[in-house]
Order: sequence, then structure tokens, then C-alpha cells
Amino acid sequence: MTEPIVQVSPAWAVLAPLALLLFALAGAGLNGALVARSAGRPVRSGAGAPFAQVARLLRQRRQVTVAADVLLWRIGAGGLLVVAILKILVIPLGPWTLADLDVGVVWFNTMDVMIWALFWLIGWGANSAHALVGGYRFLSLAVSYELPLMFALITPAVAARSLRVGDVVAAQHDLWFVIWMPVAFVIFCGSVIAFSSWGPFATGAGRDIAGGFLADVSGVDRLLILTGRYAVLAAGAAFAVPLFLGGGAGPLLPDWLWTIVKTALVLAAFVAIRHRVPTIRPDRFAEVAWIIVLPAALLQVLVVAIIAVGS
Amino acid sequence: MGVTSVLARWASTSVRVLVVEVPGSDESRMLLEAELGRRGWSVALSPADADLLAVCGIPGDELRAACDLVWNQLPGPRTRVSVTTAAALPALLDGAVAHLVDDSRQREDARARSQPVAAEDPTPDAGEHEGMSHEDMDHEDMDHGDMDHGAMDMPMPGGIPLAGGGDDRDGLEMDMLNVPLGPVLPHWPAGLVVDCVLQGDVIVSAKARILQAASAPTEASEQAMTDVVDARRRIIRLCDQASQLLALAGWQAAEQNARRLRDDSLRGADLTDHGAALDRLRRRVERSTLLRWSLKGLKLTGSATRDDGADLSIRHRLIGWLREAAELAGTIPGGGPIAAHDANRAQEAQEAQDALDALPDLLRGTDLGTARLLIAGLGLDTAALRETHEHSHD
Repeated sequence: MTEPIVQVSPAWAVLAPLALLLFALAGAGLNGALVARSAGRPVRSGAGAPFAQVARLLRQRRQVTVAADVLLWRIGAGGLLVVAILKILVIPLGPWTLADLDVGVVWFNTMDVMIWALFWLIGWGANSAHALVGGYRFLSLAVSYELPLMFALITPAVAARSLRVGDVVAAQHDLWFVIWMPVAFVIFCGSVIAFSSWGPFATGAGRDIAGGFLADVSGVDRLLILTGRYAVLAAGAAFAVPLFLGGGAGPLLPDWLWTIVKTALVLAAFVAIRHRVPTIRPDRFAEVAWIIVLPAALLQVLVVAIIAVGS
Repeated sequence: MGVTSVLARWASTSVRVLVVEVPGSDESRMLLEAELGRRGWSVALSPADADLLAVCGIPGDELRAACDLVWNQLPGPRTRVSVTTAAALPALLDGAVAHLVDDSRQREDARARSQPVAAEDPTPDAGEHEGMSHEDMDHEDMDHGDMDHGAMDMPMPGGIPLAGGGDDRDGLEMDMLNVPLGPVLPHWPAGLVVDCVLQGDVIVSAKARILQAASAPTEASEQAMTDVVDARRRIIRLCDQASQLLALAGWQAAEQNARRLRDDSLRGADLTDHGAALDRLRRRVERSTLLRWSLKGLKLTGSATRDDGADLSIRHRLIGWLREAAELAGTIPGGGPIAAHDANRAQEAQEAQDALDALPDLLRGTDLGTARLLIAGLGLDTAALRETHEHSHD
């Protein structure tokens, strides 16, 4: 934590999507490797699976269902990647950031609310039963995770007394927020996995409903959605770094590299969790989210607020 | 040309396969799945996600029509194979890949199919295909929604009549949608079709039926099997059921574990260590609090269970399967004769029939996810059913 965060020229923005796609690719590669390992195949072939998948989907034609709402369907499919890119604009890479918004934390939250609409639109657009059920399953999940996520996001901001991401990083100069607000950190991580419709929260694209909102998408649309899912997962992982993990702080390596290393580690944990646990049924989760998780998040804010005012 | 051929070559390393199992062909399906696993291919969840349609066994007329309908929903490049014998499987799949990467043939296929689609009839003869297609709501499977509703005067977007209304479980009026589940669904009993009326994702009423295989019984070899082989078949079946249920519960690692144990038994591997491995899996399933919580309250009630009257939770069912498989595997190396399953065949058929009859009551008022878990928990052996049908027809 040596230098303050500075806003760089917007020209660098072209690199942001590139970096995000690399992270998404790495996430997909890790997932492929883990799948291969548990199936007893060589890990290397699994790590290369995303490339095969991209090639496959680029070759595949788009199948359109009868009376599909094509416009909204396409918006949903393309939107995930856009949202993920917009999310990372406020994340500082070491000392540099693309947009040093004074409401950076709220910006991130706004973007993840947009995901509600996107997954639902993907489910709606296909005009098919399973896809629509998938879309609504995501919404019911979103009703459960969103409020805890909001309070988890606000907790570091309360401690830093600022919604600016740079200030949040600076406030962790002495102590990373993950140490004294672990509940908020865990809730944030869970919510990122949930809004990416990933792992235990992937019920919207569940096997029991033939892939849910993914059931009828093919070709480039499917590629965009799958990439978009990894991208929002990666963006969420990246946001955990300035919020809870001290930003670019760390020994030996330069700040920007630490940001990347921490993001990669968090992303790896997110990807790996998919292989460890069964999915959580959305109706079950609602109960826990409102009765246990939400009060826990509020309690965490309260504790942090008291400490912040007292110090 | 360079780019397309490179793409085709890359794509061919990860083919996604939509598997259709004809009742009685579970072994072909398992062998196919094992071969897919070896190649790093995966099973597609829906036609839109598939490159290859693999029909295991020889379907009867209705089931064949369903397969053809699903075939039309594969986006392409696409190819289809019929899996009937295990011996030719690798060659069959190699041939499928060659067909998939052959750009000129795929282009021809695309051209051939683009004609009828362009001239799409706005008033499809839904009755002909009713209930046979995959779950996505093409006009064919949207079938006659609620036509009694004076649908002729109503707007019909894409030729689909609008859904009629009805009181839902909370007494509110809600659209009723006729959706057939199956026969082509992942982790679904072979040939089963459940015609559901849905309100949202809640099943209001359901009717179950089985689409049969072509009537060419080739069961002669089965009759000659010894007790030990029979026990092995039982283990395979139990592992398969467990893996399906775990897949629906969304627990990939445990599913693959069960699947691998199944494939080992299928390959004829030595079962000495099998009992221990199955036991480890069972303990792992038993220990998982998340699974316990997630499956909480899912029970098979009434005549769907073997123990008359007593409710049986899905989780206990799953654990019971794994325990039984572990015990069976433990007894085989000893060489002692297992209680002959053959004698129980009639009983198995009766159990399957009871389970099928219990389905409508079991599914009423459940949501789709619950319904899928319950059906998987039944462990419905549709092949056994076929035998009862044949006997009763004789």
C-alpha cells in the first residue's frame, strides 16, 4: 500500500475485456481439468476443453425455437459479458484504475442487479417450458442472495467511510477487511457464485430441467452465455480483492501482480467449489437466506459500524 | 479452408451426445456413456446442446417418431448413430466424428433441412407428434394446450394456442400448460413419458406411459446368466440409479464416482475392492449435510415404496442402494451363490408396475425439480415393465 490509486487514460479500457476473457478462459480451463480428473482422464486434455468448446460452438448453427422472443433472447445472451466488463471498470489493478468512481461499490452492485434481468431474459426468450422455469429459478435465487450481498458490499464501505473503491483499498493499510469482517466476505463470495449461476447455485441451468435457461440456446449464443458466466464469476473474484483482500498489498511482487494473483486464487476457489458440493434447491435456500444469512450480514454491518465509529 | 478445418478438428475432441435409451437397452447406454467418458466427450442435456444423437436399442414406432423429432432439433453440424452392440462402439463413434467434421456433407445437410423449415406450416398437426418431443416447446409439443377454451378466436403466436387458466394450489388463477416430460431427457427412465399439466413449475396433474422398444425380444442370453452374473448386473443397476439421482441432485463429484464404479463392474473388473469403494461412497453421501438438507422432505409415499405404506425418503433410498451394492460386491469374491434374481423377475415387474401406477399421485403438487428427484428415486425399471406387458398380452 504505497501509492494512491490513480485513474488511467480511458485508452487502457481496451485491455480490460482482454484481461477478463483471459481470466474467464483460465476459469473454464480449471473447470475442465477438474472434470477430467474426477472422470479419470488426463488433466491436460481437460484443461484444453474450453478451446474445443469454443471451436464447437463457433461451428454450430443457431437453432431458433418457434415463436421465440429473439431480440430479448439475444440481449440476455450478449448482456452477461457486457455486464462483466462494466463491473471490472471500477476495480483497481494495483495502483491503476479505469474509473475512479466515488460510488464504485454501488456501481458494482448495480451491475449485478442487471444480471437478474439477463438470466431471466435468456429463459424467457426461448419460449420453452424448461428454459422459463430456469429463468424463474434464477430470480427466486436472486431474491435470496441480493439483500445479503448488498449488506456484504456495504460493510467494507462502512469501515472505509467511503463508497470509492480506492478508499476501501487504502483503509486496509493496516489490516485486511477479510480478517475482521469474515461473515461479509463469505456472504460476498457466496453471492458471486450465485449471481454467476454457478456450482451449488446453478439450479437455473440445472440438469433436472434439461439445462434450464441453457436448454435451447445453441451456437454463438451459447458461447456468449457460457463465456459471460465465467466472466461475471471472474469479475466477482476480482472485486473481492480490493474489497476484502487488501487490493494490491503484498510483499516482493508489484501491486498489480498481487491483484492478479489474488484474483486468480479466489477464482480458482470459486471454480473448485462446483466439484465439491451438491446443488442447493432454491426454495430451500430462501429460508436460510432470509432467516440466517441476512441477519448475519446485518449483524456484521452493525459490528463494523460500531468499531468504525469508535476508532 | 484452413480455419474451418482447424475449428472442425478442435471441435471434434469434445462432441456432445444426446443419448436416447430404449427400454431394455440400459447396457448399451452404459457402455456408450463409458466410451464417451474415455474420449472426453460429454452427454448433452438438450437437443440444442448436442452434435450427435445416439439411440441405444431399437425403438418402437412411437419412440422412433420421438427420436426423429428430436433429431430435427439438433442445430447442426449433426449426426446420428444407432447403438445396438457393444463391439462396434469405438468404430461407430469414429465414423460419427468423421461425419461431423466433413464440412461439405454438413453443408448439404443444412441445405436439405432449411427447405421445410422455411415453408413452415403455421397450423401444425400437433396431434401427430403430441407428447413425443423433447421438452422444448416447439409447436409440436405445445400440443393442444387447452383447446376447449375457444382457442380458435384467440391469437396464436407461431401457431401455438395460448394456455388456458385454472386455479393453482393457492386458489389463484394461473395458466395451465401441457408439457410432456420425456422420453428424451437426461437422467430419465428409458421410454417413460409423463404428460404433465403445469402451472408455473408445479405439476397439477400427470399421466405416465411407456414408449416401448420394437418388439423383437432378444432376451435369450439373459436367461442363461448365472447367479453371480446376476448379482453383478444388480450392482451395475444400483450404481447407475445412484449416479442418476446424484446427477439430478447436482453433485457432480459423487455422481462421477458412482458412474466410475458402475463402469468398472460393467467392464467385468475384479470386484474385490469394489465393496470397499462403494462403502466409501455411501459414507460420503451419508456425511454430506448439504445433500441431507437439500433432499429433506422428499419422500416416496404410498404404493411407490416396497415396504407397504411406509414412507421412504429419497436420501435413505440412495444410501440403501449403495449399501446393497456394497454388500453384493462383498459377497461375490467368496463365490457363494447369491439368492437368484431370476426367481424375482416377476416380482420386479410387479414393483415397476406399482411404481408406474403410483407416479400420478406422487407427482401431483410437486415442482419439476422435486418431481425429477422422486422419479429418479423410484428406480423405475421400464424394461421389466415390458415383460409384464408381454406376459399379459399372451
